[in-house]
Amino acid sequence: MSEKEADKSVPRRSFLGMAWFATLSLVAVQGLVAILKFINPVPTGGFGGFIYAGKIEDFAINSINRILAGRFYISRTDQGVIALWQKCTHLGCAVPWDESEKIFHCPCHGSTFNEVGEVLGGPAPRPLDYFPAEVSEDGIWVDTSDPRSRNHHDPSHMTQVQG
Amino acid sequence: MRKLIKTVTESRVWRSFFRHGWPDNPLDRSLVMTTNIFFHLHPVKISRKSLRSSYSLGLGVISVIVFGILSFTGLLLMFYYVPSVERAYSYILLLQTRVPFGQLLRNMHRWGAHLMVIVVVLHMARVFYTGAYKPPREFNWVIGVVLLILTLAASFTGYLLPWDQLAYWAITVGTSVAAYEPLMGDSIRAILLGGSEVGQEALTRFYAFHILIIPGAIASLISLHLWRVRKDGGLAAQDAVKIEPEALQGTDNE
Amino acid sequence: MNENTESFSPQDRQMKTYSLVELVKGPTTMVDRGPDDSIFAFPMVAILEIFLTLGVILVLLLMSLTVNAPLEDLANLYETTDPAKAPWYFMGLQEMLEHGHPTLMAVAIPTLIVLFVIAIPYLDNSPAGAGIWFTSKRGKRIALFSALYALIVMPLYIYLDTSFPIREIYRGQLPDFFLNTVVPALLMVVIVLLPLLVLSRYKPSAREITMMLFTVLFTSAIIFTLVGFLFRGPGFELYWPWGMPEGYSPWDNL
Ligand code: HEM
Ligand code: FES
Repeated sequence: MSEKEADKSVPRRSFLGMAWFATLSLVAVQGLVAILKFINPVPTGGFGGFIYAGKIEDFAINSINRILAGRFYISRTDQGVIALWQKCTHLGCAVPWDESEKIFHCPCHGSTFNEVGEVLGGPAPRPLDYFPAEVSEDGIWVDTSDPRSRNHHDPSHMTQVQG
Repeated sequence: MRKLIKTVTESRVWRSFFRHGWPDNPLDRSLVMTTNIFFHLHPVKISRKSLRSSYSLGLGVISVIVFGILSFTGLLLMFYYVPSVERAYSYILLLQTRVPFGQLLRNMHRWGAHLMVIVVVLHMARVFYTGAYKPPREFNWVIGVVLLILTLAASFTGYLLPWDQLAYWAITVGTSVAAYEPLMGDSIRAILLGGSEVGQEALTRFYAFHILIIPGAIASLISLHLWRVRKDGGLAAQDAVKIEPEALQGTDNE
Repeated sequence: MNENTESFSPQDRQMKTYSLVELVKGPTTMVDRGPDDSIFAFPMVAILEIFLTLGVILVLLLMSLTVNAPLEDLANLYETTDPAKAPWYFMGLQEMLEHGHPTLMAVAIPTLIVLFVIAIPYLDNSPAGAGIWFTSKRGKRIALFSALYALIVMPLYIYLDTSFPIREIYRGQLPDFFLNTVVPALLMVVIVLLPLLVLSRYKPSAREITMMLFTVLFTSAIIFTLVGFLFRGPGFELYWPWGMPEGYSPWDNL
């Protein structure tokens, strides 16, 4: 063995040390990953699923109705209906509809939204999320497993009402 | 009577418990500190300066005391409390109305938690303004900051447990803030809550954090913190002489 | 003869009656110190600690006997309390949220502050002046000035930003990111760093710069917490604490 080679080679002692260190680190990382996977929640469904909101005649044009079971509001305008999730897009408070002011007014930090969920004021960064709604003969069905967030309100978010 | 005391304190059993005589002389006063687990945190001799209440305001010690009271009252509350969405609230009601001293214990635990936050913050302020974080105490300051964060976390996780309106919405708002963390926000919130909303999963997790994980971490870190205080040479007050010019003049004729 | 003499003969070694326990950096024990001003820790410290413990228990007990911990209705996920507040020690954060985007106000700024607080002993690392309140007379004036500055400017900022909210006035005309993140960030930086500009004309030491920054941040944190906790009423609007509408009292949130 020439001297140069000897320089590059790792002495046995430090090689074993390094091997130990590498192995232990690996074991530690594995353990950490396992713990992270363990504490990461498994999906539990929650309140998702199809919710029957009611007959279409029950929802007058330009009215807001709250469907408690689905945690959403059915807002009907002349453009159609939209099912707005009650959860404030700012920090998650339940937003009540203020009938006298005709706005959604969040009590937590004062965000306000109009009848289709657009932000009028306050710190909320996006319009209210909505759930896809289906309008059929027997009434309005809302899919609460699939909340849609959006940066701007668009009429396409609303479901047309025939007739 | 004297004789009895004498036989007892000189018996082998007593001697195996306490390895020092009655502490009325320098030797036994030293031994009382070094051979006793509660006192070995203190040095045998301590400078008058660091005892002066206008220096430390006793805030660090008060933090330890309040932590002790919280652990004790918390342990008792655990005899009744159930971390279940259906039952937590009604057990708090039961505790308050039916259990003897239940309301008192709950009050002490709650006010104690508020007190601890205040005292720890004040302790930090006093350490800062007395410059006691300076070398060699830098690392103890860092431990202190972690302790402060843990204190807040302990309070926050405990806040959810009564499962009343106050608890529910405070934790909803508080954990939504975490979701604004760039990159990992949503997963942090999910790991805290065990789901996307505050519900049974969240209550279970907060309970585990509140009764074991965080207090355990605090207790360990307090031990480290106090050990470091001694290793760093006691309170910074006794080093203070070093720069005060007036004080230095006094040592000229030494 | 000299060549072969070993400095440590076996005999010498046997006579060695000491051993090395620990290496300590620093001057020898008595350099620059006055006469030893220390007392035996035993009775004094133990007595002080026992009295302190009794005192804290007494205070907590009296508080708990007179005021009951709040308990509102069972958690109801359909209806948020109005106002919905976090625990008081997080009301500073919630108040910050009123004035900008959550990522800035509740994540970026607090993280920066915590990092700054952790870094303090490494930014100001001269051991001079440790263990003395405010380090010097000048230090005391700087702390006082910084506290007064924050005491005036921060409430003013909160009030003005609430009555003339840039975000609302230019909503839709300027990009959200600019109104909600850039402007508040700049404002905060200017407000916090402005007094440092004044200080820089006096050749401050690292300790004095740190003291100013810490004092401004600490005082601001207290102000934000108090405003959020005491001055925010239904709809999270600003009121006087004694003039809250709808029978709401901020103290119910404890
Ligand atoms: C659970 C919270 C805490 C407990 C129980 C605690 C306990 C203590 C105790 C008993 C002392 C002895 C001196 C005294 O009584 O003032 C001490 C000193 C000290 N603490 Fe803490 N502490 C806590 C949090 C903190 C925090 C938040 C900081 C700073 C960020 C901190 C930094 C220090 C430092 C640097 C010293 C040495 C002070 C000196 O030499 O004068 N501690 N702590
Ligand atoms: S949660 Fe609705 S405004 Fe903050």
